[in-house]
Amino acid sequence: MKIIACYSNKGGVGKTATTVNLAYAMAQAGRRVLLCDLDPQGASGFYFRVKPSKKLTETRFFEDVARFAGAIRGSDYDDLDVLPANMTFRDFDVFLARMRNSRSRLKKALKAVKSDYDVVLLDCPPNISTLSENVFRASDAIVVPVIPTTLSQRTFEQLRDFFRAHDLKEKKLHGFFSMAQGVKSLHGETMDEMRREHGKRLMTATVPFASEIERMGVHRAPVLATAPSSPASAAYRTLHDELVTRVFGK
Amino acid sequence: MSADRSRLYLLVPDALDRLAEAGAVGGLVPALSWEEGTTAFQVRDTFDQEIRHSGRLLIETETQIEVLGAEGRSLAQPGVSAARFVAEFAKGPVTSALSDLSPLRCLLPVGAGVLRRGVLALLDDEAKTQARALLLDLCVTEGGAAIVVQLQGLRGYDKALLRLRGMVEAAGGTAFGEQPLYAGLFPGQPDYRPKPQVPIGHDTEAFDAASDIIAAYLPVARANETGVIADHDTEFLHDYRIALRKIRSVLSLFRDVYDTALTDELKTRFSALMVPTGRLRDLDVYLLERERFYGMVPDSLHPGLDRMFALFAEERAAAQKSLAEHLRSPAYRKEITALVKLFGSGRKSGRRKLARGDKAALPAYDFACRLIWKRYRKICAIAEGIDAETPDHEVHELRIHCKKLRYLMEFFAPLFPEAPFKRLIKPLKKLQDNLGLFNDCSVQQDSLQQVLGRLDGATPGDLQAAQSVGALIVVLHGRQLEERARVVGSFAAFNSAATRETFRDLFHGGKE
Repeated sequence: MKIIACYSNKGGVGKTATTVNLAYAMAQAGRRVLLCDLDPQGASGFYFRVKPSKKLTETRFFEDVARFAGAIRGSDYDDLDVLPANMTFRDFDVFLARMRNSRSRLKKALKAVKSDYDVVLLDCPPNISTLSENVFRASDAIVVPVIPTTLSQRTFEQLRDFFRAHDLKEKKLHGFFSMAQGVKSLHGETMDEMRREHGKRLMTATVPFASEIERMGVHRAPVLATAPSSPASAAYRTLHDELVTRVFGK
Repeated sequence: MSADRSRLYLLVPDALDRLAEAGAVGGLVPALSWEEGTTAFQVRDTFDQEIRHSGRLLIETETQIEVLGAEGRSLAQPGVSAARFVAEFAKGPVTSALSDLSPLRCLLPVGAGVLRRGVLALLDDEAKTQARALLLDLCVTEGGAAIVVQLQGLRGYDKALLRLRGMVEAAGGTAFGEQPLYAGLFPGQPDYRPKPQVPIGHDTEAFDAASDIIAAYLPVARANETGVIADHDTEFLHDYRIALRKIRSVLSLFRDVYDTALTDELKTRFSALMVPTGRLRDLDVYLLERERFYGMVPDSLHPGLDRMFALFAEERAAAQKSLAEHLRSPAYRKEITALVKLFGSGRKSGRRKLARGDKAALPAYDFACRLIWKRYRKICAIAEGIDAETPDHEVHELRIHCKKLRYLMEFFAPLFPEAPFKRLIKPLKKLQDNLGLFNDCSVQQDSLQQVLGRLDGATPGDLQAAQSVGALIVVLHGRQLEERARVVGSFAAFNSAATRETFRDLFHGGKE
C-alpha cells in the first residue's frame, strides 16, 4: 500500500482537482483507492457528492477502528472510496501509522470488510503544521501542484527548505505545473527556470488552465469522467502515469 | 463495492418499469438508465445441464463470457470462446467458476438472443448514488425474456442497499435460480437427467416396478442418440450404454417378474442394441486415457504410442461412423420405437400384453429386500473365500455381484431410509472402485494383446508400436497385481460390523 499526499502551501492551485482526478485515474487502472479529505476548505468529498459525516467530528476518531471503517463512503465509481472531511485531525498520524502496519487492528478491520486499499490519497490542508509534518513523514510521495508564477516558485522553495530543516526526504516531493497558460510568456519563463533549478523534483506532466476543470464544481465529478477526451483529461492521465511510475516503479 | 453485498435477482420487465417510476422512497430517487444498443448472446450448457442444475447461467457475447449465479453473483472474463470444452477456455474467473463441470462434457447451445445492460440507481438529494442494481435484460429468440438484477452496495450506504433490495423484492424479484430462469427464458427446454428417479411404492407390484424402471431408462437412451450421431462428446455414448445396461440388469435381476421366455427374448433384444456400441466405447476409453498411458512408459517408447493412438483414432472414426449409421437406420428406429411402446404405461401401450412371471405380483418392498439380501450374502460368501491364492476369475465374479448389488440398491432406493442407505453405498462404491481398476487392467491387457496381433513387423512403425504396447502390458499387469492385493482389505473395509448390521436391519428384518 502506498500513501500519496496532495499538498500545497498556497491555496487555489488546483490541488483538490488533482487529488480527485488522480484518485479516479488510479481506480480506473484497477487500484483500490481511498481518498481522505483532510482539507476543511477542500472539496474532494464535494466533488464526489459525499456528504460530510457528523460522526467524524468526534474526538479520538482514529482510535476507534469500527467508527473509522464505518465513516468511509463508496463513491459512484468502482474501487474508489472516500473518507469525508470535517474531522479533527489530531490523531491522523496515528491513523497513518496504523494503515502502514499490516497487523494493526485498523488494517485487519479493513481487510475484514474487503476494503484493503492499494493507495491512500490524502487531500491535505494548505498550511505547514504539525499535521503536515506528520503526513510528510508517513507518505511515500507528496504531489505538489505549482502555478508557474513567481509567487508559487517561492512557496515551492519554502517547502523544500522546510523538508531540509526537518530532515524529511526531499526525494518524496513530486511537483508539477498546474493551471499553466501557454499564452503567458511569464508562465513559460518561470517553468524553464524552475525546471533548471529543481530538476527531478518536478514531473514533466503539465496540467493546463482549463474551463473543464473549473466546471468540475458544476458537474461534481472528475474531469476524467465527464470530459475524458478533453486536453485537461489527457494531462491528468499523463500525470497519473508519471506519478505511478515514480511511486510504484515499472 | 464488495462481493458479499451483491446478490442476484430476477425480475419481469414490467416490474422493473414500475419500480423505476415509483418515485422517491425515504429521500432516495430511483434512476434507470440503459446502455445504447443491444448485444447478441448465446447460452450454452452441457447436455446433462450441469450449469442449469447448479443454478447458474453461462452467457457468451462477441467480447466476453459471463457466468451468472456463481456464489450468488456474476463473473465475467474477456474473450470469445469458440472452445467446446471448459478445459479449453482461457484462464479467468469464469473458467475457474466452471471448473466443477465434467471435463468430458462439451458445451452445447441452449439458446440465443439479444441483451442490453443498464443500471437502476438510488440517488440522494446531491444526486449521489447510494445503491445500485446492475441490470441485464435478456431476450431470447423464440423464447422468453428476463431481467437479471445484481444488487451492488456502496460502502457506507448499507441502508440504501437494504432499501433497494426491499424495492426489488416488493416488485416481485425472485432469487436467481434454475427454476424461474430457465423455465422463463427457454420454455419447453427438456430437462434431461441421466439418472431418472423412478418412484416405487412399498406395495407397488414388482412387475410395475420393473416396467417403470425400464420405461424411465428407454427415453434416457433415446435422448442420447442425436449426440452419439453428431459425436459431440464421448458421454453421449456412455450414458446411452448405461441406460441400456440398466434395463438389461432389470431383466436379469428381477427374475420371474416377466415370463421366462419373454425375459429371454427381451434380454436378447437389448443385448443386440448394445453390441454395435462396444468397440466405439472401448476406443473412447483408450483415447480419453491417452495421457495416463503415456505416463506409464518411458519417453523413449512414446513414438510407439503415437503410432498406436493414431491407429486407435483411425479405427474410432470408422466405428463412430458405423454406429451413427446404425442409429439412423430404419431397423434400429423400428426396434427402439417398438420397445418404448412395449413398456409404456399409457392406455394404448403394450405393457398389459407383457407376459407376467411367478413373482410379478410381489410387493416391491418384499421383493427388494429378498433380492438385495440374497445378493449381499452371495458377495460375502465369495469375498470370504478370497485370499492371495484365489484365481482371478473369482475376483471378477465378486466384481459382477457388487455391480448387481449396486444396481439393485439404486433401483429400490426410494423404498428405504436415505441415511443408512447412503452409509452402505459409500463403502460399496470404494470396493467397486478397487474391483473396477483390477478389471480395467485385466481387460486392457487382453485388448492390447489383440492390438499386438494386428501389428505387422514389416510395416514401418509397427515394430516400434509393438514395443510400446508390450511395455504397457507389463505395466498394466503390475497394476493389476497391486489392485488384486488390495481386494481383501477393501472388502473388509466395506463389510464392517456396522455395514453388516445395516444390511440385516434394512433388508432382513434385523435377523442374521
